[in-house]
Amino acid sequence: MPAFFTIDPRSGVPIYLQIIEQVKRSVALGVLDVGEQLPTVKQLAKELTVNPNTVARAYRDLEHDGVIETSPGRGSFVRANGAPGAARRAVAEVAASAVEGAVREAKSLGLTRRELRELVDHALDRWYPEHDVLKEGESNR
Amino acid sequence: MITPAPISVRGLTKRYGTTAALSDLSLEVPRGSIYGLLGTNGAGKTTTFRCLLGLLRPSSGAALLLGLAPGPQVFERVAYVPEQCALYDWMRGSEVLEMTRVAHRSFDALRARELTERFRLDVRKRVKHLSKGQKTALALVAAFAARPEVLVLDEPASGLDPVHQRDVLDLIIDAAAGGVTVLLSSHQIGQVERAVDRVTILDRGRVVLEGELDALKQEEKIVEAVFDHEPPALDAFARDGRVRSLVQNGRVVRLYARAEGETIAREIGALGPKSTRVLDQNLEDLFLLAVGRSE
Repeated sequence: MPAFFTIDPRSGVPIYLQIIEQVKRSVALGVLDVGEQLPTVKQLAKELTVNPNTVARAYRDLEHDGVIETSPGRGSFVRANGAPGAARRAVAEVAASAVEGAVREAKSLGLTRRELRELVDHALDRWYPEHDVLKEGESNR
Repeated sequence: MITPAPISVRGLTKRYGTTAALSDLSLEVPRGSIYGLLGTNGAGKTTTFRCLLGLLRPSSGAALLLGLAPGPQVFERVAYVPEQCALYDWMRGSEVLEMTRVAHRSFDALRARELTERFRLDVRKRVKHLSKGQKTALALVAAFAARPEVLVLDEPASGLDPVHQRDVLDLIIDAAAGGVTVLLSSHQIGQVERAVDRVTILDRGRVVLEGELDALKQEEKIVEAVFDHEPPALDAFARDGRVRSLVQNGRVVRLYARAEGETIAREIGALGPKSTRVLDQNLEDLFLLAVGRSE
């Protein structure tokens, strides 16, 4: 498998959620291709040294979210049917929770809405310097 | 017929005179899952193991392995690694393994050789000439080579270096993936955190926290609110069923929530604090808090 998963067992975030997040991220980035096979529950549990039931739970949720499909006896695969859509949603989800966390942190530090907006604009200018209306229109199609 | 849980403990109590080493412990470990028993020294972990293995008679309650009371028909399907190594001093490592082979029909000699190499064990040596870590390793090789249905491991990593500690964890996870049921106690909270489905935290014989590890991490949150004035009266929160405890330090208030941390944060946010945040807790946080709380 070309994807590398890293989990932090000492985090307060449940391990199965960490696995879900990383699989979604890998699918979204194309590190895991459509139709590509994921390691079996047993393999991934061994590789990450985590409880097999935890991996199984992550796979169940990923299947429910339409990111992977499991066929008995064959294994789990990145879902072909609608996978780009699911992957796109997955990226958006990962990004949304990062943004949510940042906004929450800013609020807890007592920043006003206007101060935060300034920071966001600053970050946008830094990471999206090629801001171009035409290009954006293209990628939205 | 419903198959009984491979490990089942109900209302287990062990008293010595008027002091209870263990009070009313109940737990069920389904097949293929790993259950962690945590606690400070003297919390009752070893007492639990000894009752399960029939080495100690409970004052009340029951401890069953494979649905059966302790006995020969159970022992050949179970492997137990006690905290204090119980191997005969005069035996050679190879003799300990031979004894295990005789006691367990499912004993896997190939596996025993493989594990002996993995732990770099010299089985020609007598037990009394082994270091603490080597004794632990020998007990583990015997236990895993026995290919039991149930593994009961009391501090299985004691005396081992970090590399072999990780080996033990790999073996436990591999066994569980193959359907073996594991009950594990360890002071290495990081190890437990990787491996277990459920945990029970004991303190002086009593259960102070119990649950599925993922659920505990999702539910047990710290809600912190900082006020720029004297905080309003928060008695209602202190009495709230969702709140375990409330600690106030000047203008900072911390609520230890057992559920609905986000909702509690919104509710306290309505009281006009300068900031609120919700903090995650890992197993070590939960452990220290649960044990501290019962002081």
